[in-house]
Amino acid sequence: MAFATWLSRLKIGGNASGAAQRSRRIPALIYWSPLALAFGNYFYTVKLISGRSMQPTLNPDSSLWRDFGLFDKFSIRSRHGYQRGDIVAIVSPENPRRMIVKRILAVEGDTVRTLPPHPDPEVRVPVGHVWVEGDDSFHTDDSNRLGPIPAALIDSKLVCILWPFDRVGRVTVPTTETLNSVHDWTRRSVQDAIERDKWRKSRVIKSSHSVPRGPHVY
Amino acid sequence: MHPFAFATQALRRSAQVRLGRAREFWSKPCLYKAKVVGKSAFKLANMACALHIFAEYVGTVSLMSGLSMMPTLADSGEIVVEDRWSIRWNPTGIARGDLITLYSPLDPSRIICKRVIGLPGDVVCVDPTGQKAPSTEHVVIPKGHLWISGDNAAMSRDSRDYGPVSMSLVRAKLRARIYPDITIFRNPITYLD
Repeated sequence: MAFATWLSRLKIGGNASGAAQRSRRIPALIYWSPLALAFGNYFYTVKLISGRSMQPTLNPDSSLWRDFGLFDKFSIRSRHGYQRGDIVAIVSPENPRRMIVKRILAVEGDTVRTLPPHPDPEVRVPVGHVWVEGDDSFHTDDSNRLGPIPAALIDSKLVCILWPFDRVGRVTVPTTETLNSVHDWTRRSVQDAIERDKWRKSRVIKSSHSVPRGPHVY
Repeated sequence: MHPFAFATQALRRSAQVRLGRAREFWSKPCLYKAKVVGKSAFKLANMACALHIFAEYVGTVSLMSGLSMMPTLADSGEIVVEDRWSIRWNPTGIARGDLITLYSPLDPSRIICKRVIGLPGDVVCVDPTGQKAPSTEHVVIPKGHLWISGDNAAMSRDSRDYGPVSMSLVRAKLRARIYPDITIFRNPITYLD
């Protein structure tokens, strides 16, 4: 009987019957929180990006404002939809409590020409792994130090920048067509971005065929 | 009154009440009906999300399959309790001998179950039998990584093949088996000084 009265007190919504009873109900904010939490867990989340490893794409100047980005979890969780060139949030392989933002250079099967901290000049990315690097190769802890990273650690991919206001929008690599349409004072940075993208792509030999996964013994 | 007759009468009465309610509902204006249906759909979705959040952050029961943990877990049809809470709040609190589930480093869509053999800083012999690597080969496990192994070494792909795995891949600890029998998994490791 006590359980039944407790259940009736839990009744949400319906017709309001006095302030005394209203105070016993679960507040609407708490009642609907699972929906909001699951949306953040499965579809889209907003994350604050700190650090300079993705300069000049993210956090380009040393102002106090840091970038807020909208991250897409759905395409990663549902179909592992990451590609070369995507900016992704990854759980750091060294510290499960940290998350890092990097750009995917190569996926499984590709061959990458590495940068200094790495012992080998060339690396073939193993099955189920990706090669990630920061855009600023001097201030980043990326695959050149950590080696190829398991794709299961990819948490979400960056869709667009939400803040600061002047850079709101999708993060894409500019092409030569955009170069003709921009103003003179941004022309140089756009040109730089194109050069960096070319240099990144020149270091990767893409594999066209899928990689054999070996016998399924787990 | 015969108890059976009483039950039928009660059923009939409740059916009448339900029919009355349904007629009342259908006689209401269209907008009201849409509101009621929409709200209950939202409530259902909310309930499903709550269950999912619980499974994601606190723990869940899951069905196991695979040969790699053979003496401890059978190859199919066993239900175990996964504890995700402790990994969420203390991701580095893993001990040697713990049973864990983790995302496969070879395939992000697969979840595998293995036993922890070595923690960061340990020196591990890659394969004492010498089948997958020479038995003299040893590795130091790097920071934030684990050495994992299946209990059924002959039918398991584990750290002997792909080396140390990141602690960030760990999903949950296995606490107990609840089907076909109830067994609590205790850490079997004894240290010899």
